[in-house]
Amino acid sequence: MKMFFSVYKSCIKTALVQATAYRLNFLLSMLITLAFNLLFPLVTILIYNAGAGFPGWDFSEVLLIQGVFTLSTGLIGMTMDGLVWATMQHVREGSFEIVLLKPTSPLTFLISTNFDADSFGLLIGGGALFIVGLVFADVSIAAIPVFIVLFAAGFCVMAGMNMLMAATSFKWVGNSRIPEIFNSLMNFGKYPLTIFPAAIRGFATFIIPVGIIAFYPANALLGDWNLRTLLPVIPCAIFMLFSIFVYKRMVRAYEGVGG
Amino acid sequence: MVGVEVKQAIKTRSDILLAVASVTFKEWGAYRSHSMVSIFVGPVFFVVQYFIWTAVFAGGGMPGMELDEVIRYFAATALIGYLVMDFADWNLSMLVRTGKFLTFSLRPPNHSFFALSQKVGHRILGFLAEFLPCYLIFMFVFGIDMRPTYIGWVLVSVALAFLMNFYVNYSIGLVSFWVVQSGGIRRVYSLFGGIFSGALIPLVFFPQSLQWVQFFLPFQYTSFVPAMVFLGRYELGGIEMSIPAIVGIQAIAVLVAFAFCELLNSFAMKKFTAVGA
Repeated sequence: MKMFFSVYKSCIKTALVQATAYRLNFLLSMLITLAFNLLFPLVTILIYNAGAGFPGWDFSEVLLIQGVFTLSTGLIGMTMDGLVWATMQHVREGSFEIVLLKPTSPLTFLISTNFDADSFGLLIGGGALFIVGLVFADVSIAAIPVFIVLFAAGFCVMAGMNMLMAATSFKWVGNSRIPEIFNSLMNFGKYPLTIFPAAIRGFATFIIPVGIIAFYPANALLGDWNLRTLLPVIPCAIFMLFSIFVYKRMVRAYEGVGG
Repeated sequence: MVGVEVKQAIKTRSDILLAVASVTFKEWGAYRSHSMVSIFVGPVFFVVQYFIWTAVFAGGGMPGMELDEVIRYFAATALIGYLVMDFADWNLSMLVRTGKFLTFSLRPPNHSFFALSQKVGHRILGFLAEFLPCYLIFMFVFGIDMRPTYIGWVLVSVALAFLMNFYVNYSIGLVSFWVVQSGGIRRVYSLFGGIFSGALIPLVFFPQSLQWVQFFLPFQYTSFVPAMVFLGRYELGGIEMSIPAIVGIQAIAVLVAFAFCELLNSFAMKKFTAVGA
């Protein structure tokens, strides 16, 4: 573990140096990512601005959900997005052997060496939205520990999704649209889960638990929590472990001919 | 004599277009499963939109459109997206950055026409692998009425949206002749395009002043206009227009985009040095 963090720290430094080599492009990319995510709640803003809304949810509450979602996306973007693209590229080019030769597991190596500094804008944007939501919504301070546990569980779901995407690329070689499949499912996690029918709510809580990325943590902060609120943490942990298992199995299925 | 030359020029262009489109179709056809990802992604995105807007209309509704129209609008924009999708900006930018553009500058047809022909082939594949399956899912699985009010005008408007998207994207790609790494600029355009094309949310839900501005920007002509033509009525910024009138305006906008693209192209060719090719 100590070695992992040491390698990870060095990799972050390298990634930052690389990103700032094309300073204008880096700055623009970061600002655009930031703008993209400040505009993410645009639909919500326009809906509430027109006097409409999601039944049972006021504007600041929906903003809080979307802030938590963006914050989580920013964190995962920096730490895990690179895993998908790097795995995809190595498999397509037949250079995954290089990764297999490293003195650490492929998962650790690829996560460490693919830190994405551009997603920092996403993190700032998510943080800004989250703070706005916190300021205007009626938040329960006592729920902060529950929020942290649920937020971490949501992070596990997103990390698991990234590992599954990367694992898929071992069989579905060179398909750059794999992330679109998983991202389309993430859309269910961007809005109050109560607007969806029971079947979708169940799917987004227990099968592919995207609801826990933002809805459950935000809902807990809004005071709607008890011990049963922590129940969806179990499927999240299972989902993450299952994703690690699948990735490792798929690495074994890799067939290279020496690049 | 002049007539014969014009006929010959049209024939040559048609032959090039058909040949390039056919090769592109075959090339991308090898990766048809990439396109078929849309068969999953499109309906999932639509289901999310369906429940969002059903909830919103249950809580009061939005001015300018009824729920039934909003649902048909989102189905239409998804389908139109498959027909007009384009990445000429990325492609041109890559060719300039790597120096591979040199080989295109030595060929008889200019690259913009070559790229347009590629797009035709690519989108024919999109029609078969994305549009048709999703159209059938929307019609028969979700039970959405996907019959356009004026099919002829819809075809014209989608064709114009196809050209508009290409010329604007190609113009963005041409910026690469001045700034080699144009990823940031392309993302700025994509950001505004995503919002103001109407694919994310119908433009009639925007504040009045922003609706007005759209008449002078290229975005609405790529998605909002053909989707409204599909619905059979057009209104933006408090202005109601007949379908032939808005399609006429869309045609003028495409001509302006074409002229701008050609002008930029001529400047770019003077700038190109092929260093590192």
